[in-house]
Amino acid sequence: MKTRVILFLLLAAVAVSAAFLLFGNQNPRTPVARITRDGVLLEEIDLDKVDVPRSFVLEDESGSNTVAVEKGRIRVSKADCPDQICANQGWISDGAVPIICLPHKLMIEIVGGGGELDGGAG
Amino acid sequence: MKKRLLCALLALSLLTLPGCKRAPEPVEVTAFAMDTVIQLTAYDGNTGGTRAVLGGLTDRLAELDSQLSATREDSFVYAVNHAGGEWVEVPDSAVLALLHDALSLCETTGGALDITAYPAVKAWGFTGEERQIPSDSELAELAEKIDYTAVALSDWAGERHRGGAALPQGMEMDLGAVAKGFAGDLLAGEMRDVGITSALLDLGQSTIVAVGSKPGGKPWRIGVVDPARPGSYFAVVELEDMAMGTSGGYQRYFEEDGITYWHILDPDTAAPARSGLSSVTVVSPSALTCDGLSTALFVMGLEEGAQFWRDHPELDFEVVFVTETGEIYRTAGLEGCFSLAEGYEDREVVVLE
Repeated sequence: MKTRVILFLLLAAVAVSAAFLLFGNQNPRTPVARITRDGVLLEEIDLDKVDVPRSFVLEDESGSNTVAVEKGRIRVSKADCPDQICANQGWISDGAVPIICLPHKLMIEIVGGGGELDGGAG
Repeated sequence: MKKRLLCALLALSLLTLPGCKRAPEPVEVTAFAMDTVIQLTAYDGNTGGTRAVLGGLTDRLAELDSQLSATREDSFVYAVNHAGGEWVEVPDSAVLALLHDALSLCETTGGALDITAYPAVKAWGFTGEERQIPSDSELAELAEKIDYTAVALSDWAGERHRGGAALPQGMEMDLGAVAKGFAGDLLAGEMRDVGITSALLDLGQSTIVAVGSKPGGKPWRIGVVDPARPGSYFAVVELEDMAMGTSGGYQRYFEEDGITYWHILDPDTAAPARSGLSSVTVVSPSALTCDGLSTALFVMGLEEGAQFWRDHPELDFEVVFVTETGEIYRTAGLEGCFSLAEGYEDREVVVLE
């Protein structure tokens, strides 16, 4: 009886470690937009779950950025920064190029999504 | 019998245990410096120690920024620009080394890179405030003031111990085209010195430095932005102990009356460089070379740039050119580490020999 319990526990341990090996190290497959200001997380949005397009305003003493999200993509649609680089960039849908509004220290990057890249240059 | 089975299972479970050791977790820090966002990612078993190292490196970045910024009134560069021709002592030997390296790149590129274009950059408004188009006569006047050979460097400036720099009155320099590359080399060197063997340094996307390879030994895969659609990348470059730098007209620009004016200026005309290229990506072990040459080659254009690559094997660099019409050219040395990205597989790539 005792042996059986031990046997069962051992089998369970092997199964669990096998499961860990198989599934433990995989990245999340759905793209998540992570919005930070000066390195501090403001919001995380699972882009695959955005069924209805929406937009919202992120504001602080440095200024404001209007962010628009749709299924699978995100952009800055309006900003009151002088250079407009963030708004000019348009939609992003993968981890290649984050949107950065330097004057407002705002960054929108997409993590997950299975993009096989470690970074983007440009 | 049962005991034997148990022993076997026990041995099996012990064997699988090492497999449970996860890939090392990345340690990431973000810093706002040099007019951009800088992200350092290092993989190391020793998370606490690595975090402390990266924290120290961002302090170093902030220090470099405070020395090299052309806009900060307390910086070394600002002091040189406003010294009215007088010598200004360098804050440390690293800055003197940067000036030597930068001027040497200016010379090698025949002035296609010129660190004294700052008055023109200001006149166009690319330093941050309102953009504007200077008149032709203004541009002619500005172009005359662009001349890197007027920068005087001294390893021993009078009684000064660390050396100094001087610039004629009315001229101003800006190390923006080389500072990030220089910082990338410096930081990567310090990482290697403390034994970090796997890290990626992203200095505002325009400059990327790979320390070692990814955990597990595969090279870092870096996307290159499509200048026609800056939200996506057209190619992938694989890096291992290697840096890359990209200059493109899409990075900083404004439009007026249907004409696009970008921040990469031709030192000969003080106006945006129109060489027929829309982006240049340079791959080299030296991030400073990547940074400075990507700007210079953008100014030169495809033909002159390709010839420069052939003429200067000693600089140890490879290039990807994209023209304004979307043609892709790459140099032969990128064989094996360059590929087209998803959705661009059918694009033609001309290999330069």
